[in-house]
Amino acid sequence: MHATKYWQILTRYSLCCIAFCICLVISFKSIASTELQSRWQHVESLGKDQSVYFYAWGGDAQINAYIQWAAKQVKARYNINLVHVKLSDTSEAVSRVLAEKSANNNDKGSVDLIWINGANFATMSEHSLLLKQWANKLPNFNYTDPSNNPAVNFDFGIPTNGMEAPWGQASLTFYYDSLAIDGTVNNTLPTTLNQLLSWSTKNPGRFSYPKPPDFLGMSFLKYALVMLHQQSDDTLKAQLNQPATTQNTAQVLNPLWDFLNKLHPTLWRDGSHFMQSGAQMRRLVGDTELSIAFTFSAPEVPAAVKRYDLPKSIRSYAMQDGSLSNTHFVAIPYNASHQQSAQIVANFLLSPEAQAQKQQAHIWGDKTVLIQSTLNTQQQALFKTAKPHPSALPFNSIKRTLSEPHPSWVNAIMQGWQARYGVSQ
Amino acid sequence: MSVISKSVAVNTKATSHCSTDMFTRIVKLSPRFLLALLILPVIGGLISVLLPAFGYAPVLEHTTFGLHGFTMLVQTPGLTHMVMLSVGTGLISTLLAFVITLMILAAFFNSPWLNRIQRLLSPILVIPHAAAAIAVGFLIAPSGMISRLVSPWLSGWELAPNGMFPHDSFGISIILGLTLKELPFLLLMALGVLAQPELGKKLRQQHKVALNLGYCPMTAFLKVILPSLYPLLRLPILAVLAYASASVEMPLILGPNTPPTLAVAIMHWFNDVDLNLRIKASAGALLQLLLTAGLLAFWLGGEKAIKALFNDLLTNGEREYGGIYWQKITTVLTVFVIGFILLSLIGLIMWSVAGFWRFPAALPEQLTLLHFKSALMQMQSPLFNTLAIGLVTTLFAIIITLLCLESEQLSAKPMSRFTSLIIYLPLLVPSIAFLFGLVWLQQLVNNQAAFFNVVFTHLLFVLPYVFLSLASSYRRLDPRFAHVAASLGATPYKVFLHVKLPQLFAPILIAIALGLAISFGQYLPTLLAGGGRIATITTEAVTLANGASRRTSAVYAIMQMALPLIGFILAWVLPKYFFKSAQR
Repeated sequence: MHATKYWQILTRYSLCCIAFCICLVISFKSIASTELQSRWQHVESLGKDQSVYFYAWGGDAQINAYIQWAAKQVKARYNINLVHVKLSDTSEAVSRVLAEKSANNNDKGSVDLIWINGANFATMSEHSLLLKQWANKLPNFNYTDPSNNPAVNFDFGIPTNGMEAPWGQASLTFYYDSLAIDGTVNNTLPTTLNQLLSWSTKNPGRFSYPKPPDFLGMSFLKYALVMLHQQSDDTLKAQLNQPATTQNTAQVLNPLWDFLNKLHPTLWRDGSHFMQSGAQMRRLVGDTELSIAFTFSAPEVPAAVKRYDLPKSIRSYAMQDGSLSNTHFVAIPYNASHQQSAQIVANFLLSPEAQAQKQQAHIWGDKTVLIQSTLNTQQQALFKTAKPHPSALPFNSIKRTLSEPHPSWVNAIMQGWQARYGVSQ
Repeated sequence: MSVISKSVAVNTKATSHCSTDMFTRIVKLSPRFLLALLILPVIGGLISVLLPAFGYAPVLEHTTFGLHGFTMLVQTPGLTHMVMLSVGTGLISTLLAFVITLMILAAFFNSPWLNRIQRLLSPILVIPHAAAAIAVGFLIAPSGMISRLVSPWLSGWELAPNGMFPHDSFGISIILGLTLKELPFLLLMALGVLAQPELGKKLRQQHKVALNLGYCPMTAFLKVILPSLYPLLRLPILAVLAYASASVEMPLILGPNTPPTLAVAIMHWFNDVDLNLRIKASAGALLQLLLTAGLLAFWLGGEKAIKALFNDLLTNGEREYGGIYWQKITTVLTVFVIGFILLSLIGLIMWSVAGFWRFPAALPEQLTLLHFKSALMQMQSPLFNTLAIGLVTTLFAIIITLLCLESEQLSAKPMSRFTSLIIYLPLLVPSIAFLFGLVWLQQLVNNQAAFFNVVFTHLLFVLPYVFLSLASSYRRLDPRFAHVAASLGATPYKVFLHVKLPQLFAPILIAIALGLAISFGQYLPTLLAGGGRIATITTEAVTLANGASRRTSAVYAIMQMALPLIGFILAWVLPKYFFKSAQR
């Protein structure tokens, strides 16, 4: 009798408890989502009607025009004044934030938003120069399917920790002058790294790459490094995704130096002088000094032909043995003057409208970071494309993507390169 | 002479005694203000570079002093090569520019050709270094104008050949670019000196006397005029030497990069993502400073040696040193220089309107205004910034220069050697050595006023040129006009405004045009002080030169030339219509 009553009480309590727990779980979940919502409302209310200084590489007219378009959109939607500060090198903005930190300017920084990835991101994150845990809370971040998509959470293998919002994806693609590479026996289009070496040996002085630390030059060296290790055993291959150390550097990089020792004597200016930038390489193709070159933004090629900067005979293609690919991001410095406004802009840049506009070949042609399955049919329809220019990269030509090695390899390659080839003999 | 100067002293003492008006007080204070304006930023900037060089950089968590930076610097592969390249290109280009200037002056002195050459060359002065480098590079490149003119009918080249220029490892392209760019500057400076009424007249008369004594014109110039002219040219030459040994734009576009010149390497280290390289960069900046100082000392030493060695030649009575041949050589050289420049300019203009233009065609396939249209669309705000910064900076520089020169006359004391040296400090100290420190200081003081920072930094570079071009005219102003006016009871203010300024109308306009041209052409100072937020035509042009097509940068280069050219044309035309009676 006593026991039954005790049981009854216990059951009632435990039922209450369970119900309470269920309530708690449900409310937590809704609190969490409403918290995110209210956070965003808060950001929006604080960030409206202000200026955002967007520090972004400004060497490409098409990209600059796209940023102008985005500026008009955020002006109309949020009355935000987006100012594109054109950089010739992103590291200038990194230096700027660092200089501000050294001058104890911790809340009135001049950089609000910065276009970044790879080594620059690694440096800024290492020196704690970036605002943390905001990008993963942007409403449009969900369209990137973050839980199943490491490409938006890792930048060259380094976790982003919400410090940067993904903006686009780029792949290393090649282009050539079809009048100079005419398909005769000793002059057929190279489509693998090894073919490139043998073609350059037969046609000396018609290929080169920008001098490291130029981004594009480094990308070519990384492509070569990754390709040269395709046949290596798994432990050595795995080193590419680990930080470079004094122990593994020589072993990993030696195949690259062997390859470059063979390639360099066949290059433009016998490999004793290298061009300063990717744009200079493009100009040399226009001058017919070079017959083959590469780029990380494929759409710049047809755009350059339309502006007469490259000859009509230019054609784009992707290497058959693989294309180095990476994601680029926007980040907010820790001392940005307009952090909320910058978040609104970053969120807009991630929206299906902005991403679809960016992917159009005649606008910019930069691949979207959004995952199609997260979008509704109306949003998916935005991404349909028109017929490409003859010099543009044919649709779906990238058969195989190669992921970037750990960013510390950039420095290791650069130092090794500088010691070996930095001073001409 | 001494009687006159004594009377000047008495007279000005009398005027300054009776009038302590606002004007006089401001004038008296201006030299000190000028000194502070020039010394503080340069010294401050240098200290901000010096500390990191010795390992003190709190931001990078280095707070102990040490020689770590210098060790890194010495270990840099190819450092000797970089230093040799900087020294070689700086010294040879300055020497060439100086020698050619003298040859042109000597050969065409008192001939109408001198003015024509001046008119042809002075536009070069206003072409920013970056644009000039691009134009020169286009001419000498394997696919350049010269190569196109001989292909394929002579050379058989269907594709651009494997060439050596630009970027040759000996720096010949840099020397070519710098020489062509500095030559008009030195020539204009020399002609500015010779245009002074008193001195110019005296020298021309002396030259005539020498000719009557049977001297060959070139010998007469070298023996009679050069000894009086050179001391007035010394500072411009040293400024050219300092600039040439530490410039960034020319070696960046025309120079080799395995390794580059020291200044370019320093800039790369400063901008590198690896922030620890800044310590090495600061040490490098210090080395650059020593290098430039060494070069200046070497030049001054060479000057003394030449003076000692050739002193006897001046008075040995020898009248002829193969003058006819030298005259011919000079003519050929001048034609070559002008032809080279004209061909680059034609190339520049053709690129700005070219459609497809495949090698080896000598002319573009089609002409288009597309590049101008798209550039002009994006040019409005940079254009406004360029003009606003240039005008504000130049007006400020002109006012302070005039006040300082007036103070010199009011106190009847020539400016101390120290002060006159300080004025040229920003020209003699390599800008790469103190600009980075200066920017750091500016951020410490005021972070947001980018426009003010840019104007302030430009002033450092504009002020010396304005002073250089105005000082000699002002000092050689016939003092008797002022005396007459003062004795008629005019206040110093009135004398300054109504007697001196009208007589100086032409030199002032030249100084304004020069100041504007200098301000328009600044790249590194605009970029650093403005934090990239202030875009001018020049920063846009350099960004595009490094990032886009020849066609677009040709458009920007033409814009860069057009703006200061308008200034110089005004400076040339206006004195013909205004204050004509004050000129002679």
